[in-house]
Amino acid sequence: MNETTSTSTLAAQLQELVRAVEATGAALLPSSNDELLQTIVEAAARIFGAAAASIALVDERAGELVFRVAYGVGSETVVGMRIGLDQGVAGYVANTGQPIALSNVQNDPRFARAAAEKTGYVPKSILAMPLIVEDRVIGVMEVLDKISAPSFGMQDMELLGLFARQAAIAIHQSQQLDALNHAFLENVRALVSPETAVDIQRALGTGDAAQYDDVMELARLFQTIALLGNAERKMCLKILETFRAYATKTG
Amino acid sequence: MSDSRPAWSNQFTADVLRELRSFGPLALISREWAWGEARGAGVRVAVIDSGVEHDHPWLGDCVKGGVIVEYDARRKESVKILDDPKPRDLFGHGTACAGIIHKLAPDAEIYSVRVLGKDLTGRAFQFAGGLRWAIENGMNVMNLSLSTSKQEYYGLFHELADDAYFKNVLLVSAVNNIPAPSYPSLYSSVISVAAHEGHDPFTYYYNPAPPVEFGAPGIDVEVAWADSNKTTCTGNSFAAPHLAGISTLIRGKHPELTPFQIKTVLYACASNVTREGGQGTGDG
Repeated sequence: MNETTSTSTLAAQLQELVRAVEATGAALLPSSNDELLQTIVEAAARIFGAAAASIALVDERAGELVFRVAYGVGSETVVGMRIGLDQGVAGYVANTGQPIALSNVQNDPRFARAAAEKTGYVPKSILAMPLIVEDRVIGVMEVLDKISAPSFGMQDMELLGLFARQAAIAIHQSQQLDALNHAFLENVRALVSPETAVDIQRALGTGDAAQYDDVMELARLFQTIALLGNAERKMCLKILETFRAYATKTG
Repeated sequence: MSDSRPAWSNQFTADVLRELRSFGPLALISREWAWGEARGAGVRVAVIDSGVEHDHPWLGDCVKGGVIVEYDARRKESVKILDDPKPRDLFGHGTACAGIIHKLAPDAEIYSVRVLGKDLTGRAFQFAGGLRWAIENGMNVMNLSLSTSKQEYYGLFHELADDAYFKNVLLVSAVNNIPAPSYPSLYSSVISVAAHEGHDPFTYYYNPAPPVEFGAPGIDVEVAWADSNKTTCTGNSFAAPHLAGISTLIRGKHPELTPFQIKTVLYACASNVTREGGQGTGDG
């Protein structure tokens, strides 16, 4: 085998790996992690009888909190909004890793008042909980305006802690996967010389690409099925298992 | 329902609260003896937090100065200390704690030690730097609403807590709101505090089964907040300044007492401790 052939084989293998990583990622995690986070804030808002809920993530480099998902009053304008880590109740919680409950927060203009007014919504009561992964605060989850009571209590604090744990795990997993993908692709780039990298690019757009599209489609299907009930999943497993047995025999 | 409460405040609900007795010479310690007539004069209290708004209307002129502790990786101690003669509060939390202390001990001097800010990277070093500054600059009582759960800082904060004890500086620390280890609140020389539901600032309980030794009001407490405001807050961090305030009174009246002796006085005067001979402690 000459050098050119072995390089192109390597390129093909790497290409396959990249596709496999993408497909596996899609199969293992919801297509967008935000979907899961959205479900968590919505569930939290409903359980607490709160008018709104949100999750903001820490951007350490910028020294800011970025609102990732929101539910309820003002949610359309909240997502994507940034506030300084040295501001407001959420900033305090991100700084200390300690949850806090406040009411009559209208009296506190620094509760990112300007930001809250941008959304046209200034809450009366707020419960803010840190999202913690391995002793590190990665974000803050907030529920606003408990409808049945003037303020959030210690029991609410404990309960929101459970939601926050779920959210923290989901965010952490997604960040891990991103980091893994990034490291993998960087390594691939380091392995292959610039000329070969061009070959890979070309190869990605042609040839067996359809085969990987199928894999991606399968992954998406799995993902949808995984969200269905237990019985549906079992049935799918049975069908797939039967097909595998048949295909291995005839193949 | 007590079983759905956070583990730490569980110990201070009516159904599990233990009735205790003080006996022998301890039974001679009454609230009247401990802090009767005291106003905290001559005691310097450091509030290690988000800053203290020096001109907040609830604080009179009790704020006498302070420092800002910033993370600086290039320095040996990893922090830079900036003088802050007229402190401000980034969030309002430090002002809330100072307000509670001032209400209980109106003549005490309060110093703001700001250890929070925009940069999260060196948070534990800032916190440690704030403690170190307070120990070395003549503070008598420290109110800590912060803690770290990072095992790697266990030694650093333990050393500081011991140093504070030997220099006769009393540390009062809120325990974590989430049941998890938190330093320095777990060390024996520290007064660790969680929230109970009452509102009388002088009603506090002793828990004979630590790590959390004391329970004080921390639920729906009306507090001072940044920009001359007030708000109603819930969290263990509002219970700690109640004990810091009472300790300040004891310290002001009995400057010779060491941190462990003050802890003993606090025990003897706790609301769930009856003095031998049938007298309650609420006689002050």
